[in-house]
Amino acid sequence: MTLAQILALIIFVAMFVLVVMDKIERHIVTLVCGVLTFVFVFGLGLHSMEAVIETLNVKGIFTLEFWYSAGESGESTSGINWATIIFLAGMMIMVEGMAKAGFFRWLCMKLAKMVNYKTIPLFITFMIMSAILSMFIDSITVILFLAAVTVELARLLRFDPVPMILAEIFCANLGGSATMCGDPPNIIIGTSLGYSFADFLTNTGLIAGFGLVISVVYFYVVCRKDLKLASNQDIDLSSMPAPKEAITNMKDFVVSSVIFMLAVVLLVTHSMTHLSVAFIGTFIAIITLLAAGKDIVYLLKKVDYKTLLFFVGLFMVVGGLEQTGVLEIIAEFIGRVSGGNVFLMVSIILWVSAIASAFVDNIPFAATMIPVIQSLAATSGVSLDTLAWTLSMGTDIGGSATPIGASANVVGTSVAAKNGHPITWGRYCKIMAPATIMIVALSMIMIFVRYC
Amino acid sequence: MGKQFIIAIGREYGSGGHEIAEMIAKDLGFELYDRAILDGIADEKNIKIEYLEKYDEKPRNLILSRRIGSFSNSIEEVMAELQFDYLKEKAKSGESFVVVGRCGESVFRQHEGLISLFITGDYESKVQRIMKKYKLSQKEAAIKIARHDRSRKKYHNYHSDFKWGDSRHYDICVNSSKLGEVETSKILVEYIRKRMEE
Repeated sequence: MTLAQILALIIFVAMFVLVVMDKIERHIVTLVCGVLTFVFVFGLGLHSMEAVIETLNVKGIFTLEFWYSAGESGESTSGINWATIIFLAGMMIMVEGMAKAGFFRWLCMKLAKMVNYKTIPLFITFMIMSAILSMFIDSITVILFLAAVTVELARLLRFDPVPMILAEIFCANLGGSATMCGDPPNIIIGTSLGYSFADFLTNTGLIAGFGLVISVVYFYVVCRKDLKLASNQDIDLSSMPAPKEAITNMKDFVVSSVIFMLAVVLLVTHSMTHLSVAFIGTFIAIITLLAAGKDIVYLLKKVDYKTLLFFVGLFMVVGGLEQTGVLEIIAEFIGRVSGGNVFLMVSIILWVSAIASAFVDNIPFAATMIPVIQSLAATSGVSLDTLAWTLSMGTDIGGSATPIGASANVVGTSVAAKNGHPITWGRYCKIMAPATIMIVALSMIMIFVRYC
Repeated sequence: MGKQFIIAIGREYGSGGHEIAEMIAKDLGFELYDRAILDGIADEKNIKIEYLEKYDEKPRNLILSRRIGSFSNSIEEVMAELQFDYLKEKAKSGESFVVVGRCGESVFRQHEGLISLFITGDYESKVQRIMKKYKLSQKEAAIKIARHDRSRKKYHNYHSDFKWGDSRHYDICVNSSKLGEVETSKILVEYIRKRMEE
């Protein structure tokens, strides 16, 4: 191994450990590690200004393909994935607008009313809603609102909200795997490798669809005792909060709902319109801000800049591994272990991704693995598409297994604990780990049958 | 209502800090907030008291929990925050009180009327005290002291920006073994009264 490779690896491992330890804010960790990568790996190790420029990857933003090229060619996989960052920023602004208008709370309350506040239909409806919303909106926002409403309804309807919150978390992660914009690993995979929304929907989306049916049955079987107990009780339904009360401002509510629908249409059709996700994110952000009027500053302040900076730093560090060829070594290793056998290769990527994502942040993992699967596809002849869908399902679904595996899990369990329902690792894993194993196994079977 | 004072008392395990806090609260006629606040939180939040007791003043497990923005899924951390919020609510009412542990000196650091104390003790005295109180052997008492102090230190250092027991960040640090709990509490009450007169 060269000095540059060793330095890149040390910085990467240090970044991972510091992110897990959570002593220093994670965006500071990745940015500092990113700067260290530039100084020590590119400067001291490689003496290459070219590597710095390639990793910064700013030039790409000023090309037409960056804004208008969906489904045809991916952004350069090297360095900072600006398309992901711009798209996420745009969606954050849109989601803040929706939340401020009361959209999410209204939707939850409306659906609860539609099923007449009966716990089992509510349970199933919230699971499906969690999956569908997470296809377009980040799972943190979905779970934040769903879990809060679930706790509120549980108090009024007198049932234990924990099984329902766990089922919602699982479905949010599952729904996120179905589309290109559902989960950060998918956005990175899609923008890096040039896949469209439709590509994801017809591949990972199909697996997630079957997975959702199985998950609903599984969670119903596992949690039905708690829920049936509650549904037998007499509750005064007139005391339930009216959905309308959730709307803070009718004009903002209508505008934000229309913008959300527009975002969905633009995303679903972007392989036909050739508008890139970076364009869609920017466009949606601009119209949300224009419609916000005097609330423009509020919306801009609510953007989670720390997460965006975390991504920037992360891509810089992964750029170090990529430029020094460390990721190619990993790819060669997987290729050697699997002996070119596509079944073995898929199994390794799927289960390693799933197990790793259950314990560490799946975003750095996916960002690191993309160049690895590219290299693997090039050297072994296995289709890149197959490996991309495998990586996507492994990282997205694996995260559900433990309370720390994905952001939605952390937010959901935190909301539950703050409201008096602490969820221990034991209780969490007892319900969620079997569900995760089941859906990862389903993914493996479906990938074997369809692509191998 | 006069000026509000918050007496935050940190203590080493076995130093008699809790008893000293009780005496100070009684002398000053202040409410004492200690482990008993868990009952109030349990009632308010409808949480099982066992959960609060199990995770009371326990440090966050950094490997088994994560934080996303203001959301942490460490039960220890959430329970600590519930207690901090509870104490802040009490402070809002304007009442003066004594708080034992719970990072009181950090939670109310910006409060004008904060008086922070840290009670320490000679190792031998602490061991003797724990042996007598819990009917333990010397070895068992030593292990218990080490375990509790380690846990309190980690808990404090996670939620504060200074180290547990660091004299630079308390108004008074005192070794209760030298004069005993009663005399120590009298001196501390005298100091607090002087501060209150200022």
